[in-house]
Amino acid sequence: MSEPGVLEGEFFLDGDTAIAEGAICAGCRFFGGYPITPATEIAERMAARLPEVGGVFIQMEDELASMNVVLGAAWGGARAMTATSGPGLSLMMENIGLAIMTETPCVVVDVQRGGPSTGLPTLTSQGDIMQARWGTHGDHEIIALAPSSPQEAFDLTIRAFNLAEQYRTPVLLMTSESVGHMTERVVIPPAEQIPLYPWRRPQTPPSRDFLPYAPDEDGVPPFPVAGMGYRIHMTGLTHDERGYPATTAAAQRELLPRLVGKIRNNRQKIIEVVEDGVEDADVVVVAYGISARTALLPVSRAREEGLRVGLLKLVTVWPFAEERIRQLAGRVKAFVVPELNLGQIALEVERCAGGQARVIPVTHPGGDIHEPEDILEAIREGAA
Amino acid sequence: MNRDLVENEELELAGVPTVEEIGLHPLDYLLRTERLPHIWCPGCGLGTALSCFSSALVRSGLDLDKVAVVSGIGCTGRVAGYLRLDGFHTTHGRAIPFATGLKLANQDLKVVVFSGDGDLIAIGGNHFIHAARRNMDLTVICVNNFNYGMTGGQVGPTTPSEARTSTSPRGNLEHPFNIPRLAAAAGATYVARWTVLHARRLEKSIHKALLKPGFSVVEVISPCPTLYGRFNRKKYGLDMMEYYHQKAVIRHGAAPWEVDIDLGGEIICGEFVDIERPTFQERLRERYGELHPSEDLGLLNRPPVELDVPFAAGESLPLPAEPRPAGGPVRIPSEMAARTSTEVLLCGFGGQGIILSGRITGAAAALYDGREVTLTQSYGPESRGGACSASLIISDQPISYPHVTHPHVMVAMSQEAYTTYRGRLVEDGLLLVDADLVEPSPDDHLPIPVPATRIAEQELGRRIVANIVMLGALTALSGLVSEEAMRKAILDRVPKGTEELNMRAFEAGLSYAAHLPQADGASGG
Repeated sequence: MSEPGVLEGEFFLDGDTAIAEGAICAGCRFFGGYPITPATEIAERMAARLPEVGGVFIQMEDELASMNVVLGAAWGGARAMTATSGPGLSLMMENIGLAIMTETPCVVVDVQRGGPSTGLPTLTSQGDIMQARWGTHGDHEIIALAPSSPQEAFDLTIRAFNLAEQYRTPVLLMTSESVGHMTERVVIPPAEQIPLYPWRRPQTPPSRDFLPYAPDEDGVPPFPVAGMGYRIHMTGLTHDERGYPATTAAAQRELLPRLVGKIRNNRQKIIEVVEDGVEDADVVVVAYGISARTALLPVSRAREEGLRVGLLKLVTVWPFAEERIRQLAGRVKAFVVPELNLGQIALEVERCAGGQARVIPVTHPGGDIHEPEDILEAIREGAA
Repeated sequence: MNRDLVENEELELAGVPTVEEIGLHPLDYLLRTERLPHIWCPGCGLGTALSCFSSALVRSGLDLDKVAVVSGIGCTGRVAGYLRLDGFHTTHGRAIPFATGLKLANQDLKVVVFSGDGDLIAIGGNHFIHAARRNMDLTVICVNNFNYGMTGGQVGPTTPSEARTSTSPRGNLEHPFNIPRLAAAAGATYVARWTVLHARRLEKSIHKALLKPGFSVVEVISPCPTLYGRFNRKKYGLDMMEYYHQKAVIRHGAAPWEVDIDLGGEIICGEFVDIERPTFQERLRERYGELHPSEDLGLLNRPPVELDVPFAAGESLPLPAEPRPAGGPVRIPSEMAARTSTEVLLCGFGGQGIILSGRITGAAAALYDGREVTLTQSYGPESRGGACSASLIISDQPISYPHVTHPHVMVAMSQEAYTTYRGRLVEDGLLLVDADLVEPSPDDHLPIPVPATRIAEQELGRRIVANIVMLGALTALSGLVSEEAMRKAILDRVPKGTEELNMRAFEAGLSYAAHLPQADGASGG
């Protein structure tokens, strides 16, 4: 039985709207944001839809406030999300760091547009993909997903909330203008068919000895929220298991490896790739988001030419599928990496290929998607 | 400078009795005593502010399990960490938006922001005024010590003119913010100011603020002898307290713009604002009823699922199912696409409903005719009048490459759109143009003029439905989408109350096209 107000059925939705509906299906009941092209449709949809499902929408004064209001709402017990584009993501970085440090589950959507700075407000890009990895200061791990279609935008929003809850961490949904403003059929399954990771509710009752940051076996602590009687303390400072500031090298040595480790050590469960014809390939196209979709046509065309080419689509961009690339590097001639930037993930592929296979970036400054012919040319070059 | 102070024997803790030796204070249960001693300097007013708050909180009768204290960064920012309440030590300046999220997620919480002047009024100044404007239901206790204490005594947003600090060594050249004035102007419902010397009055005001609905602000003037005082000839806490004793004036109801603080001048204290104004929460409740964003949503009752298997409602994009046989050189993406697909371009200017036309056509084909559809759109920064287009690929197979490059069907609703896009149409494509808005080039024999705007204006009385008239003609002439599917899609997507008008527009377009002599021969795709 579906919850009142939650959609079910087939819809003709753009990628942005699909994210809003995906969030609602994932139990998101709080959205705080600031208008920015090409992400505004998400805020608009949430403003209309959240009150229908008992949720709260608020438009904040800027993206600094947007990120913080989302963190506050998460600690208030709501599943919470914000959405923005590059210029806003830059402002959110400060408190994405706070979310990582305080282990606050939340989802941040970046509908990528051309940059740097104000760049190309209405046109596509994948230029923020490294910002997603390293945009906030300090050492950390991050989870980022990249959808290629409105349906995937819906599906991956649900996955993003699940990962955020499971690992108590902010999850970035790195979509792009091309997907955000692309409209296709989106299937919304009945609520009971959508698996949701439950809230990691603390199993022990409130007491003075309660350690809010004592991790479970997987390295992740349960999530006590405000008002439950735990009298928790949360801080962006390095802290101990009580949550108290502990600004010493020793405390950092305890905390940071756990924060990084809870993602790094579970990466095989987190990382999702979709492969097609990779096993016997001479050339493997490694792509994500809209570029993984653009690559379909040239890959199929190259096969018609008799080339043995596979497609490795990174659904999870971060953590990076480095073991898989290492495995393949030993037996393929080349990796072809199309992306709407001048070579960001190509560097990761190069690092993992370790000189064992050629890496051919198919760069594109953004504003538009690749011409299939450009990717096809790179595949031919790699196979030669 | 700071190191000297730490080494100063006055600050040595040796010989100071421990908490255990002294025994419990009646309010100790409100403190995280295991975290004491605190980091604040001797002579600092923060201890007084904290104890006034604690007493006021106890007197308020609020359920302590439902009280959350949010701080930013700085000396005052540490308050949240010493209180045995739900405490949140956030980033610099961001306590207010964080507190806003807490309160909106759980209405049952009493949320208090306890932070310093630099944190709340400089780096967080924007959040302060906007929360006041919204009348967010928060109590803000702003401890003002006239400088940035934690970083070594730099000039701040409230430093009086001419005061010396480590970054205004020859005197502050700026005008300070008057916090009550700022709060009042931005819309706070309760504004008071006290020095830490006025401990009982301060406690009373905090008590009042805690129970006041809306954005309540208590400014606490507090000594920073270690830094601000030392730079300004008030080296000891006592010097500052003496200054307050001499210069503080209680003037309840004083106009907020009259309570500026000059260096060494009067400090006007009292209650300045106490008004009623609907809070954001009240407005929200009024409009939508009770909202419960933090309810567990029955998530725990869902069947357990192995989440390491990723969730996907839709299939991942497959490769094109029927690749064209290998052949000659490939140049144009559309030639590479499966033959069963048709590319459509609808173009005109913003305000003509071009994007809506695309959405209707796409929805009709995708949801009611069961075909694969990809709709993309482009538009300029103008809200009205700029060039805009909607591109559709309608296919019997999954669509990989999403962009239309060489449309088989084109509808041009403006001269500019016709001029810009005409060259992209395939040679024997179907081209519809608005008869009155587009004048095709003399040698262009392809366009079928449809007087969509004229029909909309003259027959239907509303120019705005010209796009739907055109869709009627397109449906009849292209055979791309079934009439029934279009009718359903139109009804789904046009504004409520305009359904009948839009249906008449669609029928008018269908009927116009049916009477065209060339209708039989024209076929797109």
